[in-house]
Amino acid sequence: MAAVHLTLARCVAVLRAIIGVPDYSGYLAHMRRNHPGAPLLSPAELLARRQHDRFERPGGKCC
Amino acid sequence: MKPLSILGWSCVALAGAAAIGRLALSRGETVSAAWLLVAALATYAVAYRFYSKFIAAKVFALEATRRTPAQRLDDGRDYVPTNRWVVFGHHFAAIAGPGPLVGPTLAAQFGFLPGALWIIIGVALGGAVQDFVILAASVRRDGKSLGRMATEEIGPVAGATALLAVLGIMIVLISVLALVIVNALRSSPWGTVTIGLTIPIALLMGVYLRWLRPGRVLEASAIGLVLLAVALYAGRWVAQAPDLAPLFTLSGTTLALLVMAYGFAASVLPVWLLLAPRDYLSAFVKIGVVLALALGILFVLPPLQMPALTRFTDGTGPVFAGKVFPFAFITIACGAISGFHSLVASGTTPKLLERETDARLVGYGAMLMESFVAVMALIAACVLTPGVYFAINAPAGAIGTTAESAAQAIAQWGFTVTPETLTSLASQVGESSLLSRVGGAPSLAVGMAHIFSSALGGSGAMALWYHFAIMFEALFILTTLDAGTRVGRFVLQDMGRHLWAPFGRVSWYPAVVTASALFVAMWGYFLYQGVLDPLGGINSLWPLFGISNQLLGAVALCVGTTVIINSGRARHAWVTMLPLSWLAVVTLTAGWQKVLSPNPTLGFLAKASALAHGLATGVLPAGRSASEVRRMIFNERLDAAVATTFMLAIIVVMVASAMKWVAVLRGRVPARSTEVPADYGAEVRVAMAGD
Repeated sequence: MAAVHLTLARCVAVLRAIIGVPDYSGYLAHMRRNHPGAPLLSPAELLARRQHDRFERPGGKCC
Repeated sequence: MKPLSILGWSCVALAGAAAIGRLALSRGETVSAAWLLVAALATYAVAYRFYSKFIAAKVFALEATRRTPAQRLDDGRDYVPTNRWVVFGHHFAAIAGPGPLVGPTLAAQFGFLPGALWIIIGVALGGAVQDFVILAASVRRDGKSLGRMATEEIGPVAGATALLAVLGIMIVLISVLALVIVNALRSSPWGTVTIGLTIPIALLMGVYLRWLRPGRVLEASAIGLVLLAVALYAGRWVAQAPDLAPLFTLSGTTLALLVMAYGFAASVLPVWLLLAPRDYLSAFVKIGVVLALALGILFVLPPLQMPALTRFTDGTGPVFAGKVFPFAFITIACGAISGFHSLVASGTTPKLLERETDARLVGYGAMLMESFVAVMALIAACVLTPGVYFAINAPAGAIGTTAESAAQAIAQWGFTVTPETLTSLASQVGESSLLSRVGGAPSLAVGMAHIFSSALGGSGAMALWYHFAIMFEALFILTTLDAGTRVGRFVLQDMGRHLWAPFGRVSWYPAVVTASALFVAMWGYFLYQGVLDPLGGINSLWPLFGISNQLLGAVALCVGTTVIINSGRARHAWVTMLPLSWLAVVTLTAGWQKVLSPNPTLGFLAKASALAHGLATGVLPAGRSASEVRRMIFNERLDAAVATTFMLAIIVVMVASAMKWVAVLRGRVPARSTEVPADYGAEVRVAMAGD
């Protein structure tokens, strides 16, 4: 059961990463590891940040 | 290598060679698509295993232990160490657009062989090399962009030319893709309603993500995907309702204005409302349909009805003018080599790689995957009988407007199709007519519907599958169009900033609206003229797109070659110089012919003078007024000017690069690499000290 759960979580992480919105838990882990004590974004704020980064400035998007 | 492994790889190589031989030597009989699949997959496997390994080891000496920008600069936002398969998916979703679908479909007018060989060989030696080299170079330079690398490695002239090239390409690219959409939806209430509904669906997802369930992207995407299926059926319902259908039966010009309005809206509205949710939907549909098409082709293994070579290799083809050399290599850009990818490979992707060596899978591997998409598009176009293919893809100027006139014109080209076949196929897919739906999307959709319905649902499901395929292509194209318009707006604002500082403020509404309107007007002009063009517009615009895309490819390969020479590995510079010289030859030959050919169906200037001559002597093309002809003359000259600009840009970048290479190789300028110094991290240093 735990294995199924883990596989499912991995699939979710992959699907989210493909559209450029990393997992919230991954974000929390990153912040704990690299920036302990820094203020945390809510899931909605994180999404808004990601969308801003991806679409609000020149970048690549192909033919 | 172990003996067993040598034996295995020899078998793969032999299978590939046998399949290519089978394709090349087929004359007069139909060939199974299986041969094309084997030829492609075997070539990809061998190229990936040996050639990309050689580039990784010898040209760049990539090291798994050398820290990447994602590790050194990890900020949780831009620079994030990410699993290589995830980066692969992300990179593939960003590079794969409608290009590899449309190009091979159009190039099928030469027969399947020229396109197949160019896609398979071109990607192994050209496209995948370009993507990989630029990605590796960018990873070694903190994820710098192509423009920055061009400036730093070659010089400021090359850098400025690259920036201008990007803007020019985006204008031509967006206009031609928008034209493909307009041609697919013209007089098609089903298609128009289904595609139109994708906009409110995206808005709904945007609202859901913003206020109802913030951050739940997969939930919102799942709802969006279900609603897309509803939109497919809603389109059919409207098309079959006698009082509603005429409301959504739109002309080309109306659709062109609607597409422009959409591009403008996507550029000025907040991204969370329209752009981002559409992008999510499109990414999932993209990957899902590509996988489904691969399964469908494997399951059905359809015979290729198109001959290996048609008579149109002599340059008289109705889909677009020009001989197989150089135009097959211009028409198929994405799938074989696409300059645009160098922007992605030097954009977000290099900032995500966990290990340098992953650049091989992501850069070289993802491009092989896109090439495979192009092969599938070629198969889908070639499962149609040639008569049907030309009826859909030849402009009304060549085949007339009735099934009878089309059948007659096509019979003169040596292919047989009955008027009944054409009308019954149109009603099978739920359209009033399929004639002259130029641009590639409809014939690809008919081919996909053919494959899907053979696997699932039978011929009764043709209409649903056809409109599903149209929706898939439109989603593909509209996401390139909206994101591209927004990027074009940023580029314009960035350029305008030098004239008047406030114009550069990306959140100041007057500047945002002005820059967006300006950019939409630029591509909108080409789109609108393309819709009015009696030869369908694709005829002149697609070669321009091919030339501009290959131009960016040449810029990228110049940067790659300079990077290799500057890092002291000049003996391996042939890796990028080989595809570079090929691109330079085909692009300049094609550009030369498009501008200066004395044949008015091919040369822009010859067409303009033929029209001007007609105007002077009072002989106008059927049904055209004098003012329309004057506009057509202006457009031909404009196209000639655009093509000339692209050619000059290629020459400028190549000359600037060549001067740099000679200077470095002669020792006049030191070979100075701009790579960030190698860093192996603390753990590795400790481990090495302990050895």
